[in-house]
Amino acid sequence: MKPLLGRIWAIALNTFREAARIRVLYGILVLVLGSNLLAIVLGRMSIHEEQRVARDIGLAGIALFGSLTAIFLGVFLLYTEVQRRTIHAIVSKPIERWEFVLGKYLGMAVVLTILVALFALAMMGMLAWQHVGVSSAVVKALLLAWGEVLTVAAIAIFFSSFSTPFLSGIFALAMWVIGRVTPDIETAIKTGSAWIRGVAHVALEIVPDIHLFSPSGRTIDGQAVSVHADFVSWGYVGLSWLHGLGWIAALLALACLLFHRRDFA
Amino acid sequence: MAALVIDVKDLRKTYRTPFRRKKVEALRGVTFGVERGHIFGFVGPNGAGKTTTIRTLMGLIRPTGGSATILGHAIPSRQARFKVGFLPESPYFYDYLTIGELLDLAGRLFGLGAHERDQRANALIGRVGLERARTQSLKKFSKGMLQRAGLAQALMNDPELVVLDEPTSGLDPIGRKDVRDLILELRDQGKTVFFSSHILTDIEAIADRVAIVARGQLQAHGTPSELVDRNKRLGVDVIVHVAADANVDGLTANASKIRRVADELALLLPADADVDAWLASARELGARVVSVEPRHETLEDLFMQKVGETVAG
Repeated sequence: MKPLLGRIWAIALNTFREAARIRVLYGILVLVLGSNLLAIVLGRMSIHEEQRVARDIGLAGIALFGSLTAIFLGVFLLYTEVQRRTIHAIVSKPIERWEFVLGKYLGMAVVLTILVALFALAMMGMLAWQHVGVSSAVVKALLLAWGEVLTVAAIAIFFSSFSTPFLSGIFALAMWVIGRVTPDIETAIKTGSAWIRGVAHVALEIVPDIHLFSPSGRTIDGQAVSVHADFVSWGYVGLSWLHGLGWIAALLALACLLFHRRDFA
Repeated sequence: MAALVIDVKDLRKTYRTPFRRKKVEALRGVTFGVERGHIFGFVGPNGAGKTTTIRTLMGLIRPTGGSATILGHAIPSRQARFKVGFLPESPYFYDYLTIGELLDLAGRLFGLGAHERDQRANALIGRVGLERARTQSLKKFSKGMLQRAGLAQALMNDPELVVLDEPTSGLDPIGRKDVRDLILELRDQGKTVFFSSHILTDIEAIADRVAIVARGQLQAHGTPSELVDRNKRLGVDVIVHVAADANVDGLTANASKIRRVADELALLLPADADVDAWLASARELGARVVSVEPRHETLEDLFMQKVGETVAG
């Protein structure tokens, strides 16, 4: 078990080193800082809603930029290994291809976790500036955003295991957007034509319910919930994470299977 | 015969082109064996199937037919890869790493402990002459330095079998000699070396056994002495100095490969030519003999013949 983990960790560590060199990530950090400044400005412009606006924009920024970063890293990091042939010197060593894919994902997950933590710190700084304390509801929302980012990373790496970055990016982006609007798809099932109902059913089956990680406006057990409200329980956060982990496991298993069958000519 | 370190039987690989789905046969039934402790030279022109064979053996490509074993394990085998060192063709490594970090990564993949990784990396960096580049990232390495780095990572696990795909490609004469010396040193340590090249002098200089591959098929296979009859005379190379305005038609009548530059005339006489009579004729024209040398069959002659046959076929 130890050598297996050692090999996966070696790939993860190398992936982390590689990702840390990508300058776009630093640009995204700047964008997140900018979105927090925007949150302060927009909060000031609102009437007695400074705190809510600042918190909403801060959290939305984390989910949006975190997910876009996950797609960007996911579609490039695996593909460039094959395209640049750096993989030749790796998979010719005693490492299984599935270990390589898991290592890449783990490395990405570490990078994304650090990014989400930095985004969260920036947001908390912004909230402190607004004299808003960090409630358990915000912590839950941050955990949910982190789960969303890791799930989106698995989607991107799945497409990257058999496709080019351009197509993988489009597919991953589409899956993320569809996953984000699952309540609308559920509505379409109830009200749309037979054709729309069929498509909506398929979409719900093959796409992770990413909206779980951002439950504002969702109806759970007959109640409309807001992620900022205290009645988003720890149990809900745990179940959302379980849903995400299930999809991560399934997508990585498929990615490993597809990667296993590839020729590296 | 001792157990073969590499045993390839009727290996086949067929690709389909991306859009038109046209079949391309990269390997068309390749069969050969490599014995323990030998240096095995795998030679062929570009596109012959050398790299495809090697990538198939190393588990990078899945064969469409035939079989192969490495150290007794059917490919692709993780157990075998523990004992194999591999240098890919024109190696690409993570260019943000230093040589030490590259070797550390390789060592981790072989499951070596931290102390052992450190020891082996230091020894190998010295062996391939990259001490002075220790702190540089691989991005700043020349092609020759990258090739040396590639050799070092291939030896990190102290392998029983070393597979080198075009190890002397892109190296200057000193670099090529260093690689040849390293290969000989590895054989002296009891390791088996399988290397591909299209530089025939490299193969001829060090290989115990040679296989010539062209168009995805093995054309010849054996020891250099089995393949090349060094007693077989192909002709006689003659160089004379003769006046630039002298009529040399009588001298060149039976010759091939005639080259005349200023007062120097170089030509190849047939193997059965009467060299004494030819030299007498040359002296009558006032020519001065510079050299007379019989030409024997070389690996290059065999290679050109075999590759020529496949092209004609």
